[in-house]
Formats: sequence, structure tokens, C-alpha cells
Amino acid sequence: MEKLIEIRDMCKIYNPGENEVRALDHVNLDVYEGELVAIIGHSGSGKSTLMNMLGCLDVPTIGQYCLHGMDVSSLSDNDLSEIRNLEIGFIFQGFNLISNLTAMGNVELPLIYRGVGKAERTRLAYEALCMVGLEKRLDHKPSEMSGGQQQRVAIARAIAARPPVILADEPTGNLDSSSTKEIMGILRQLHSEGRTVIIITHDDDIAEQAKRIIRIMDGKIVEDIINENYQENYLEQKESGKDA
Amino acid sequence: MAQLLEYIKMALANIKANKGRSILTMLGIIIGISSVITIMAVGDGFEKEMNDQLNSMAGGQLYVYAGDEASNNEDYMNNDDMDAVESEIAGVTGTSPDYADYGTVLTPKGSFDLVLRGGGTAQQEVSALEMVGGRFYNQSDISTGNRVCVIKKNDAIKAFGTDDVLGMNLEVTLYNITIDLTIIGVSQDKNSDSMLFGYNTDRISLEMPYTTFESFGWETTDSIYGFYITTDGTLPSKEVADNTLKLLRDRHHAQTEDYYLLQDFNDQLATVNNTMGMITGFISLVAGISLLVGGIGVMNIMLVSVTERTREIGIRKSLGAKTGSIMLQFLAESAIIACIGGLIGVALGLLMAHGICSLPMLGFAPGVKVSTILLATLFSSGIGIFFGIYPARKAAKLSPIEALRRN
Repeated sequence: MEKLIEIRDMCKIYNPGENEVRALDHVNLDVYEGELVAIIGHSGSGKSTLMNMLGCLDVPTIGQYCLHGMDVSSLSDNDLSEIRNLEIGFIFQGFNLISNLTAMGNVELPLIYRGVGKAERTRLAYEALCMVGLEKRLDHKPSEMSGGQQQRVAIARAIAARPPVILADEPTGNLDSSSTKEIMGILRQLHSEGRTVIIITHDDDIAEQAKRIIRIMDGKIVEDIINENYQENYLEQKESGKDA
Repeated sequence: MAQLLEYIKMALANIKANKGRSILTMLGIIIGISSVITIMAVGDGFEKEMNDQLNSMAGGQLYVYAGDEASNNEDYMNNDDMDAVESEIAGVTGTSPDYADYGTVLTPKGSFDLVLRGGGTAQQEVSALEMVGGRFYNQSDISTGNRVCVIKKNDAIKAFGTDDVLGMNLEVTLYNITIDLTIIGVSQDKNSDSMLFGYNTDRISLEMPYTTFESFGWETTDSIYGFYITTDGTLPSKEVADNTLKLLRDRHHAQTEDYYLLQDFNDQLATVNNTMGMITGFISLVAGISLLVGGIGVMNIMLVSVTERTREIGIRKSLGAKTGSIMLQFLAESAIIACIGGLIGVALGLLMAHGICSLPMLGFAPGVKVSTILLATLFSSGIGIFFGIYPARKAAKLSPIEALRRN
């Protein structure tokens, strides 16, 4: 499998000087294509900072980040925008849909910024919405949908442009248990289709559903293990995912 | 630049989502553009009307007068000069010294202030009158100084309560001398909707032969300072004028050319146009200030909008929107708001101009130029873009992490 993410000695230091905060402290991390990774940590552990780095929303103070073979650790804002558009599909805790756009409009956004033409855009967005089971909600605005449905729109938006990495930041944090199952089911299905999915969470139950679990504490990776319960857990979840 | 269309669509969607606020934002632009359009349309219409009137007044008319050099009484002109011009100069149809003085007139409806005009054969044309009854005074009335007069139809109604007044007498008092004048004609202004001279006053004005002033003791025939000449238009007025001035100089053995001069109506036209230009310029300045204020209003609302939509901007940036994309989206929004405001302003301005111009005291068509409308629309879009730059830059520069963190 190809190495998708390669992080070497990454530090992120806020307030450099006397009261400096090392949000990330010499982090090394490799993620390969097709992995399902959970990054778990308490608040303040540095997991949000790591997520910002992984998502190319921010650049490290020290260290190197190679994404898809390209060093992105010192790119300009506009170049980072382009990398995000091409390489990463975001799923946020708060869904982050644009309220005056329909489901279709929201899913089309990254394709618009990529410069995809209208017909192709509509096709890709429709496919993505079908994939998350929302083909009957194309013209609904976020306010007309449940939390679970909104998060499914957000997933559709993340996958529509077929980026290599899907980055989910507490994807179930705002959802009830049945919606949580539903969303996790979709994320695992994406993984089973060969996509690389990284889930950032503070919840052990969520992390348990991933194939590889990385624990972060005080800006350092303290644990990086293969989840042995993964297979049966997966089947169980698949069952309940269908029910939901 | 297919993306631009997408940004315009986004901007339109946003304007639609915030209808009330967008309209309030447009208000400044609407007021500014509508006042500019109103001023332009009324001003251009007024100017055209003035020009038409002055042109019709000046059409084929000349006015010659004695210059400063002609200071002696014998240098002034007399009725023989006028007769000579009328009979000897080709193309001349009549002459008139166009005297006027103020007196009073006693009528069946009471006493009125009076404007008494005394003219020659050209007076009907000089006063731009057309007859609705009877006749205008003629050459023989003038040579004998007949005590006859022509009254305007609306003055006749004021004085007698009817316009059937031919043959009736009016008791006219001037210089403490009271004389009865017989009405031989009823007239009305050729330009009945004339705004220059058409306003109603309590005065009555009468036209009579200038020689009739002599009945009031005014020696009018000897020392004429200047007179109008009407022409039949077959010869260039320059030629008629030159011939007239030459004849006058010969008759008075004038030493220099400055003895008798020609008044050029184009000068008056230029003065009127100049004044109009100044008025238009001044009001345009005021309208310009209101446009500036409107533009600042647009900027203010766009800044509020950027603050409100920080999270949206963060989402868009995380999805791959570049600085330029965000900038274009917000610029498109402010430009469209200002442009729609401009269009509404144009429509409103045309309506107001129409309303103002159809007031009874004015009554002319507003002058609307396509170029003015286009310019106003373009200009308002320009305001939107100019005042949108700062908020749009502010939006585009937001860091996606900061923007996503805010609610």
C-alpha cells in the first residue's frame, strides 16, 4: 500500500517565547492508503491541532508533512486551499453546512471550487448523495433535515470530489446514538470501498470501531495499535447500520 | 471565467436570503441615483425647452440698437429709419421698437395694473401672438396713432368675464392721462404652454401701435433707441443685419461702425445654457455626496455581513475556496446590490422627472438620454465594487481555523 501521509518531527508551538504552548511535540506518523484510523485524545491533548495539520488548515512550526508525496509544510494559503480541495474531504462535528444552500448545493461546493462543469458536478453530487442514502432530499435545506441527515450531507460533500483522504473531526459528537451508528456505518463502508478514513474523537467507543487506534496526549503520540476486535465489531456495526 | 458565474449565483442567492436588508442597503444608492437621474432629466428637458423657446423667439428676428458712440439725440433712430429699413432692405417683413410701460386700466371687473406695449408692424411676431378674434393693428393704425389695442384672451376674461370683447373700450391711464382704447383684436400666446411668459399674474397686458404712446404725451417717434426687425427668412440674417446697419449708418452719417449694433440672440442662449449648467452641476454635487454616503452604507453592511458569515467563509475555505474566490463572491454581492439599487434609482428618477415636468407651471418633456441611464447603472455598480473591496478583502483574508471556530 502507498504511503499517503508522512509526518516527521512535527511541532506546533503557540506563543513562542516564555509562555509557549507545545500543542504538538515531535510527532511522527505514517498513514497508508485504505486505512481506517482513529486518533483519540482528551480535550487539550493536541488532537485538534493534529487534525488542523492533517487537514492542511494550518502549517507546523517545525517538522515536515508530506501528503500524497508532496511536502505541504510550508505552502501559502492559496496553495493550501488547493491541496484541501484536491486531497481532503472534511467531516466536522457541527456539520458545517451552508444554511441557505440545498443538500445538492452544499455537496456541489468543493466541485465548484475545483472548477468542475455543471453537468459533471450535478452527476458527482447526485452520486454522493445516493451513496449516503439522501437521493430523496436533494432540494432540502439543512434546517429541513435531522442532525443525522445533515451529517450525511456533509459526508456526501466530503466524498463527492473523491479526495484520497477523508478527515472526520468528532463526526458523531452532535448526534444521538442511532444517528451515530448510521454515520459510523457509512464511514466504515467508505473504508471497505478502499478509501482512507481518519476519525478524530475523544470517545473510546468510536475509536474502538477503527482498525488502527492512535492515542495522543500532551501533544505526543503515546499509543499506536492495531485494533484486534476490529473484524467482528465491523460486522456487528454493519448489521445495526442497516437497521438504522 | 465560468467560475465567475458561480460566484454571481452565490451572491444572488445571498441577496435573496437577506431581502429586507439588501433593500435597505440599496436605499442610499437608490436615493443618490434617482436624484441624479431626476436632475439630469429635468435639467436636460428644461434646457431643450428654453432653447426651443429662445430659438422660436429669435427665429428670423434681429434687434438693432444705437451703441454708446451714438450719444446725441440726432444719432438715435426715428420712424423714418424704420420705414426705410422696411422698404429698402430686402427680406425685411416688419419693424417694431417694442416699447412698454406700466399704467392702470379700468374695466367692468375693476381696476388692474397694466403692461402697455407699443409696437410696429413686426410686433405680432415679436410678441409671438396668434389672433383668436378680430385683427392685429396694421400699418395705417401705426402711421395715424390710432387709439386701438389688442388684448389677450385670458386678460379679456379677467377684464370683462368674456372673450367676446371686440369693439369694447378700455379706460387706460398712463402718466396721469386717461384715454379710451378700443379693442380690435383678441390674441393668445403662440406657445400656449410657455413657461417663460405664460405664468398668470394679476396684470393685464395690452398691445397697441407705438405711435399711440404720443396720445399719452410720450414722443416715441423721434428718438428710438433700438428696434426689432422681422425677416422672411429668404436671406441669411447676417446679410440682412449688415445691410440694415449700413443703411442706418448712411442715413445718420455715422463716423464709426460702433454707432449701430446688432444684438445676437445666441448670446442669450449661451447665458441660459451656462446658468442651467451651473445649477445642474451644483445639484449633481449634492447627489454625488448622497451616492458617496450610499456607498459607505454598502460597505458597512458588507462588513456586518462578513462578520456574520465568518463561519460560512471558514467552511468555504476548508472546502478549497481560495482568497480570490471569496473576494469575488463578496465583490459580486456588493456590486449586484449597488447595481440593482442603481436600476431602481433610474426607474424612480425617471418617474420623478416625469412628475416634476408635468407640473402645470412647467409642462415640458423630461430629456432622457440612454447614455445617462447606462452611465448611472455602471457607476452604481462601480460604487458597489469600490466600497466592496475592503469588506471582501477582510473576508478573504480570514484564516479557516479561526473562521470555523467562531459561531
